[in-house]
Amino acid sequence: MKKIIFILLSVSLFVACERKIDEFSPSANGVNFTKFVAVGNSMVAGFADNALYLSGQQNSIPNLVAEQLKTVGAGPFVQPLIGTEEGVGVTAVTGGFYCYTKMALKIVPDKDCNGDPIGTSSIRPAIVNTTVDQNTLKQQLLAAPTVAGPYDNFGVPGVNVKYACVPGYGAYNPYFARFASSAATSSVIGEAAGRQPTFFMIWLGDMDALASATSGTDLLLTPVDTFAKYYPLATGALIASGNNPKGVAATIPDVTSLPFFNTISKQLPYNSVTLTAEQAAGLNFLYTQYGHGDIVWKEGQNPFVYSKPDGSWAQMQQGDLFLLTLPTDSIKCKGMGIANPVTYEPYPIPGQYVLDVAEQANIKTHIDQFNQIIKATAMAQNLAVADMNTYMKSFISGLVFDGIAVNTTFVTGGMFSTDGVHLNPRGCAITANYFIQAINAKYGCRIPEANITNYPGLVFP
Amino acid sequence: MRKISYLLLCLFLTATAAFGGGYQVGLHSMRSIGMGLIGTSLSADASSLFFNPGGAAFVNEKWSFSAGMSFVFARATFQAKDVNYQATLKHEVNLPFYFYAAFKPTKNLSVGLAINAPYGNRLSWGDEWMGRYLIQNLSFKAITYQPTVSYQFKNIIGVGIGLVYATGTMDLNKAIPLQGANGDATLNVKGGTGNFGFNAGIMVHPVKGLSLGVDYRSKIEMKVKGATATFDVPSSLKSEFPDNKVDVMLPLPANLDFGASYEFGKNKQWMVGINLCYVFWNTYDSLVFDFETKTSTINRTATAAMYESRLIERIGLQYQINKLVTVRVGGYYDPSPVPTDYMNPQTPSTNETGITCGFSIYPFKGFSIDAAFLYLMGAKREGTFSPENFAGTYRTGFSIPGIGLSYSF
Repeated sequence: MKKIIFILLSVSLFVACERKIDEFSPSANGVNFTKFVAVGNSMVAGFADNALYLSGQQNSIPNLVAEQLKTVGAGPFVQPLIGTEEGVGVTAVTGGFYCYTKMALKIVPDKDCNGDPIGTSSIRPAIVNTTVDQNTLKQQLLAAPTVAGPYDNFGVPGVNVKYACVPGYGAYNPYFARFASSAATSSVIGEAAGRQPTFFMIWLGDMDALASATSGTDLLLTPVDTFAKYYPLATGALIASGNNPKGVAATIPDVTSLPFFNTISKQLPYNSVTLTAEQAAGLNFLYTQYGHGDIVWKEGQNPFVYSKPDGSWAQMQQGDLFLLTLPTDSIKCKGMGIANPVTYEPYPIPGQYVLDVAEQANIKTHIDQFNQIIKATAMAQNLAVADMNTYMKSFISGLVFDGIAVNTTFVTGGMFSTDGVHLNPRGCAITANYFIQAINAKYGCRIPEANITNYPGLVFP
Repeated sequence: MRKISYLLLCLFLTATAAFGGGYQVGLHSMRSIGMGLIGTSLSADASSLFFNPGGAAFVNEKWSFSAGMSFVFARATFQAKDVNYQATLKHEVNLPFYFYAAFKPTKNLSVGLAINAPYGNRLSWGDEWMGRYLIQNLSFKAITYQPTVSYQFKNIIGVGIGLVYATGTMDLNKAIPLQGANGDATLNVKGGTGNFGFNAGIMVHPVKGLSLGVDYRSKIEMKVKGATATFDVPSSLKSEFPDNKVDVMLPLPANLDFGASYEFGKNKQWMVGINLCYVFWNTYDSLVFDFETKTSTINRTATAAMYESRLIERIGLQYQINKLVTVRVGGYYDPSPVPTDYMNPQTPSTNETGITCGFSIYPFKGFSIDAAFLYLMGAKREGTFSPENFAGTYRTGFSIPGIGLSYSF
């Protein structure tokens, strides 16, 4: 009898052994998330690796946010998906656009200055498909999205605050034309407002500073008064769209947080030109011949010479940044930054590859002022703020999530895509969680965060 | 009987367990398990060789043997902080065993051998779970071999010491947050080692029925030299992650145990006992991996553990119903040695309360079938492994039935 009791007791204890914990319980705290709409530029579109491509869009920051918002009542979030995984990137050229596929990490043979392989290879970002012709790429770009509209993600690569408000903007930007309901007449903000969101996310204004910075100049910055005029218009149009929406607005990251600006200068100091006394004398003679006697070369370490946007030449200073686009082969083999060894002409580095200290300061001032406008507008319109400027800076020294260490270093940092400006899926998930934290903090809701470990970093060959 | 013990030994030599505060295992005798895992002041059978070598000489019979095995059914659930995500430990049964043999050449002297598994940790969260960059699965087991000599004076005081040789093996898998065409890169570390320690104890019987014991088991530094480290990484990164040898250092902590027990009632049918076990967990401050071939990515890593020393309190009660049957109950509290900021899914340690019961059946004189059941509840615990920023709530539980045989003559 005792044995039987003992056995029964044992069995009942076994059954009781499963260890339960309450699951995460989401809460909207009264905020209406049923219709979520996102507005912004490439960061919002899911643009990455220098192109717009299918899985990039699927891992876009607003799509990841929308996925979590479903736990607090959000409906489907429809994106204008492009039908190509190789993607389409666009550069404006005279009379139209030049297109290319996305980049990915590839093993590329190292070559010497004659273009001959030297037996080693390195991992570098490279265009994934160089054989597709322009027509195919343009067709892929302008083809109707693979899912029917209306759409909820109004992320348009390249759009700045003013252009977002301009009717007919689709005529100038194929990334908007490809999914605009009436490209010839509508504006990005107008279409987004037409969706009558109950909750929106707006990350707009990066292009007002970054478009200039990535071109190595401060001349293309949006004037602060223009930004001050259009940013509140954009958010105001969304708020007045009918459903009295709440929302979250993001600030603009600093250029120093982006690998595009902080990679090459770590490998190639501004004063990497080592000269003998004879070489220095020769260069001084040459530069004087060409009317640039103000540039003085000396024995030992010398800064590179670069041309400024106004055509003047200068020696680089400590703190000047090379951009990721710098043709380092030309530096190594063709005398760029010093003199062309074949033609014996001075060969300054074209200004588009250098962001000098003065330009950086002006860009920083603009970004700071843009961000003040964004924050003031958000406060006035009762929006949450995702302060991406502050957040991205925290990655310079590195952060770790669930055993994944990330920082802003190019490729090895683990969060940026191969273009050094846009985030990879893992970086998007980390950022999406930051948006969710901002929404939770402002509106007192409990929206779960994305599981960052579900999203890959760069794929290595 | 010896045959059976030997069989048991062979069958389960490879088995081990994951439970308890940290990676210490307390399943060393069914009689002890039935009474809340007490043992430091007991001298009923050959298990004294392990619990307190000072008590082995008090065993009356010339020969005594004891062997057994537990079936550890471990359960653990993890709920991620701020993420709608839960994971449960893969269900695996761990089988820690013990085997003790003691011989008394004279009335006062006992020599013996103890073989058991006082440390171990085996768990699997699966290959795809959220914490895979910390741990996918881990099997670490230490088996100790302890030849022992024990001497008692005038049935009042006994002293004993054993030399401990511990063999350890480890097999660890984790993912690396670098992706190739086939997903995550991975690391496997596999190796074994052995090292020495000692176990010394004193037992005193100051008055009839009362027994006091103190026992110290030394720390054993397990240095796995040249374990095999196998990296499965994208081919372009192979030069950064060469297949490798790695030295892993993991200490088995020292224990200082005090025990007191008192027999009372008609024919001493009743016995009550307590144990206070102080575990010197503070020795485990980090888990060190030192790779032989170093690159800019892999070198020497010390993952902080920051364990804190803890006192385990145990109590047990035994009642001899008749010559055929003895029953036992007990309980204990085992506070987690792991600080809240260092809760690592490698060893999901929570404050644990154990409830135990057990019995022995004596079919004939000197021979007993011993059974025990331990139900161990871990308190729900929220924690973060801060070096890797992995946060969540853990809840653990164990059901541990066990069976053993003892024979003395």
